[in-house]
Amino acid sequence: MASVDDDVPQIQIRFTTKQEQYAVPDYPLSVPSTVFTDQLNTILNELLRESADSTATVEFDFLVCNEFLRTSLAEHINERGVTTEEVVSVEYVERHPPPEPQDCLIHDDWVSAVAVRENWILTGCYDNTVHIWNTKGKHHLTIPGHTSPIKAVAWITLDNERATFVSASQDQTAILWDWNIRSNSIECVQICRGHERGLEDIAVNHNATLIATGSWDTMLKIWSTSVDDRNNDGESASKKLKTDHGKVRTPEITMKGHKEAISGVVWSDKSEIVTSSWDHTLKIWDTELGGIKHEIPGNKSFFDVAYSPLANALLTASADRHIRLYDPRSSEGSVVKGTFTSHTQWVQSVFWSTTDQYLFLSGAYDNQVKLWDTRSPKAPLFDLSGHDDKVLCCNWSNPKFMVSGGADNTVRIFKSKHAIG
Amino acid sequence: MGAPKKAGKRKQDPIIPNKSNKEEERVENVEELEDDDDLDENSDLGSEDFLATDQLDEDDDSTDDEVEGNNDVVDSDTENDPIVFGSDNDDEELEFESDSEEYEKDDDSVNEEEEDEEDSEAESDGSVNSKDKFSSESGNEQSEEEVRQPKTNNKSLVKSNKESNGSNKPARNVNKKVVKLSDHSEKNLDYGVKQNKSSIVNSGRNTSDPAVEKLTSNVDEYEQDSSDEEDIRNTIGNIPLQWYNEYPHIGYDWDGKKILKPEKGDQLDNFLKRMEDPDFWRTVKDPMTGQDVVLSEADIELITRIQKQKIPDAQFDEYTPWVEWFTSEVMKTPLRKFPEHKRSFLPSKSEAKKVSKLVHALKMGWIKSTVEMEKEKQKNKENKDFYMLWQSDDQAEEMRRIHKHIPAPKRHLPGHAESYNPPPEYLFDKKEMKEWNKLKSTPWKRKLHFIPQKFNSLREVPAYSRYIKERFQRCLDLYLCPRALKMRLTIDPASLVPQLPSPQDLQPFPTTMSMVFKGHTDMIRSFTAEAKGQYIASGGDDMTLKIWEIATGRCVKTVPCGGIIRSVAWCPNQAISLIAVAADQKVLLINPGVGDHLITSKTDQLLEIIPQSDVIVNERVRTAVQWEQAEGENWRNGIRVILNHFKVVKQVTWHARGDYLATVMPDGQNRSVLINQLSKRRSQLPFSKSKGLVQCVLFHPIRPFLFVATQRNVRIYDLVKQEMVKKLLSNSMWISTMAIHPGGDNILVGTYDRKMLWFDLDLSTKPYQTLRLHGTAVRGVAFHKRYPLFASGADDKGLIVSHGMVYNDLLQNPLIVPLKRLCNHETYNDFGILDVMFHPIQPWLFSAGADATIRLYT
Repeated sequence: MASVDDDVPQIQIRFTTKQEQYAVPDYPLSVPSTVFTDQLNTILNELLRESADSTATVEFDFLVCNEFLRTSLAEHINERGVTTEEVVSVEYVERHPPPEPQDCLIHDDWVSAVAVRENWILTGCYDNTVHIWNTKGKHHLTIPGHTSPIKAVAWITLDNERATFVSASQDQTAILWDWNIRSNSIECVQICRGHERGLEDIAVNHNATLIATGSWDTMLKIWSTSVDDRNNDGESASKKLKTDHGKVRTPEITMKGHKEAISGVVWSDKSEIVTSSWDHTLKIWDTELGGIKHEIPGNKSFFDVAYSPLANALLTASADRHIRLYDPRSSEGSVVKGTFTSHTQWVQSVFWSTTDQYLFLSGAYDNQVKLWDTRSPKAPLFDLSGHDDKVLCCNWSNPKFMVSGGADNTVRIFKSKHAIG
Repeated sequence: MGAPKKAGKRKQDPIIPNKSNKEEERVENVEELEDDDDLDENSDLGSEDFLATDQLDEDDDSTDDEVEGNNDVVDSDTENDPIVFGSDNDDEELEFESDSEEYEKDDDSVNEEEEDEEDSEAESDGSVNSKDKFSSESGNEQSEEEVRQPKTNNKSLVKSNKESNGSNKPARNVNKKVVKLSDHSEKNLDYGVKQNKSSIVNSGRNTSDPAVEKLTSNVDEYEQDSSDEEDIRNTIGNIPLQWYNEYPHIGYDWDGKKILKPEKGDQLDNFLKRMEDPDFWRTVKDPMTGQDVVLSEADIELITRIQKQKIPDAQFDEYTPWVEWFTSEVMKTPLRKFPEHKRSFLPSKSEAKKVSKLVHALKMGWIKSTVEMEKEKQKNKENKDFYMLWQSDDQAEEMRRIHKHIPAPKRHLPGHAESYNPPPEYLFDKKEMKEWNKLKSTPWKRKLHFIPQKFNSLREVPAYSRYIKERFQRCLDLYLCPRALKMRLTIDPASLVPQLPSPQDLQPFPTTMSMVFKGHTDMIRSFTAEAKGQYIASGGDDMTLKIWEIATGRCVKTVPCGGIIRSVAWCPNQAISLIAVAADQKVLLINPGVGDHLITSKTDQLLEIIPQSDVIVNERVRTAVQWEQAEGENWRNGIRVILNHFKVVKQVTWHARGDYLATVMPDGQNRSVLINQLSKRRSQLPFSKSKGLVQCVLFHPIRPFLFVATQRNVRIYDLVKQEMVKKLLSNSMWISTMAIHPGGDNILVGTYDRKMLWFDLDLSTKPYQTLRLHGTAVRGVAFHKRYPLFASGADDKGLIVSHGMVYNDLLQNPLIVPLKRLCNHETYNDFGILDVMFHPIQPWLFSAGADATIRLYT
């Protein structure tokens, strides 16, 4: 049991958990108020050992009032204004295991875009090329084609034989690529022209039929992903004829509304896009109606936006060192549901975990990638150091790999060892 | 005018009793008749008197005063009025004629009627005198009447007096006296004298009045009041009668013998008298003499009339028809022949002097009005009449010489030791004496300043030898060392600081450094931002132009320019993509090739065509600048047009439209400012004369104005009207840079002598505010296009962000609040920050440093 110190006031706590394999008897315990996570951990492990026959020591994190315990229990409780008279319910979850650096993919220039699907990593580079790597760190292909730095890449489809993906560049085009994995041959399927300035972000919808692009010309354009050019309607075909190359694709829908550059695009639903812009707003668009559904004002330029269907929340990176959590559904009251501050420079990229509703990844200009839990707003779970320069992008599409690219010309891969899905 | 005339009239009568024997005889003759006349007059005018009495009383008095005051002049005139008429004396006559007041005398013969009217009026006025005496002595009153009687008969009298003219003058003095007496009409006037005089007067007058004579015989009532009797009437003089109550006599006769009181009789006698004497009811006692007087029928009638409140005179007709002697209507011609004397129109100077003296005295407070006096009295009453005799004992003495004087501390009262016969313990013993002697050199350390001494009696105490000296020292001390309370100004320094809004309320403004743009290898002298806010371009001593992406800090492009870049300016026209770069003597127009590809390619197309013009370029201009199309390597690097200048170009700046480009060559003397037109590839020299070393120029964002900053002043030229609009006086030694507010009405000027000057063009040509925020030369100033922000950078590496709100309301002056000092650059060759710029849209600030970095603050 805990070492009882007579001078320190005692607090009654009760352990609860949602992870059934670690359930402990539900009776209150008296612990000194200055107890830290480590001590709680030993108590809990003792209890587990008593109740179950397992002998392995498990690291736990403790949630009091829905926030991780990072200071002493008394301090934590006082901060949140909870009375110490009653039994404090302490929820415990298994601690997220620290990610391990796995690989470093060296590029020729800044890596400004990265996309992961299964075992393939797609990277966009400032030297106007797109690269394909596998998660083992093997470089498969360099794809020249763009005339300006690549700003965003995204997978459309991927199977064992073929893959299609799209890259967006500052040369005002997005290019649809078709990659034959077997033969490792690449083909430029379509060139999406229509933006008047450099593209900033690209997003593929859930069933991979549409692409949304945001650009510095303040437009949001939606394009079809179909590889076959003939499934375009007659009008596009006629337009296509006029152009020199037969591969030019025109936007399906162009949506105007932002006053300045669109910096981030994300599909939040089948027909709903969320965009972040330099004009200090987040806009939620309806692609079927082709207009703005809802607008969330901020007070800084946004650099990136991420949406998680699990948490049903938006994360934004803006021109300060904070990451903000927005609830896209609520329109009244405080729109910002949470602020996560640990970065020391502009946060350039945020990415939700695809498996956990609380976890997300962020990359910032302070050379850090950070793994966050929304229940711990003051401090991240882990700092993923490694980059020597600004982190420009990050991706966690494959739950096993946290991938980030930066201005140090590298892509860093961290292996995420999350046991429980 | 009536009153003085009357006086004059009245005074005429005493003329008659002159001392000449002839006259006297006549007087005696007429004595009898006179009475008659009197009565007649009395019955006629006496009643009138009563009516007039009250109204004219004052009038009369004033007349008297006047007469008295001007005895010498007026009296003589008036008195002699009739005499003058008949006199042969030329002098006299002249004198009178000059006197306008007495105009009647000339009229006498002419306007007899008028004269009479006036006379009668005069009489009614004059009779006032007798009013007091009437009740006590009817005779007295009558005598008064008689005095005035002659007026009616003036003319006849005058005529009759003609013979006696010669003796007239001596008589004047007597007359005067009489007049005075009759006029004053004091109660206790000597009856006898009056009576005599009046009788004399009457006699003199009545001689020639036959009408009066007839009436005289009817009246004998006042026979008893003969002049003989009057002598004994009042024997006591001017004292109350009751003083004689206890004496058997009343007064003394001529021989000094007591005059015995008349027999009084006892009660019985009185009773018997009442029973027997039929006249008892009309017998009254004369209070003056104590004698019984039997009232006559007339008296009784008079009394009864008075009791009934009727006019005492039975003969008086109350209802005489009204004769309007003076009409209320304004007459065309005055009643009098002569105009009013000038004197009557002019305000008296002497009086004015007196009045002004009084007024002055009142003003100065030398004299006080009664109201003020009353107030003062009231105040004095409120204030206590007593005062502290020894006020200075417990209160500070008021000292006139020294303000807020602190009185010197008082001397201690003498104690036992000072006594002539102190208790023995106060006397020094040997030890104390020793100590006293020991402290001889430092006497102020002694406990006492004297040695207590014992004397058998006070008589034996000798005079204090040091008395005078000590007193003198004390007085000197008090005089030469006055202790006064010094006023010290205590101002809280915090209260002097103007009330400025908290920087918290003025957000957003740049607070932290967010990005460092590294890539240059030498000082960055200038930079510029693209209008969309995606890119910036910078150039410096490393002779390259670099284009940067703001969001990532990536250097997108580097263009070698072949010269030290002193100034870069992105063309504000968003339809073309051009940057003007001043590299040594060249100005390069560079297409950066970033942003919209369509625009960049169009720009290239546009600049490939050299516009042809047949305008012959002025020699002066041609030697100053030549346009040159870039080719080969330059073209590939993005350089499109080169302007070769004849001197080093220090600054380039675009007009808001993006067609005109101004270049500054400080060494160019009268050709230091050039305005180049891009579309026509033509240059102009706007100024023919050099106004000084031109530091920088600026186009007004809206109006066709050009701001030219020379070393010390900023001149504003209207380019359309070709004239100077304004000259801003910087009052500093050397202007380094300037920036214009997007509204166009405010200019910020940075100077090498560490100042920043904010000019409000609407206010004046002098700086609205001078900001001394930097410790060294200010190198760059900038306004934000959208936010109310401005910033300045200096050699001390300090970058200061300030809030500069310009209000649309003309009455409200700009609000300037320094917000933050950002100091991240490193010094290089004593240079800090060389240029400052705001992001065109975001509230972000860029600074170009000598340490070859650009820093972005958000």
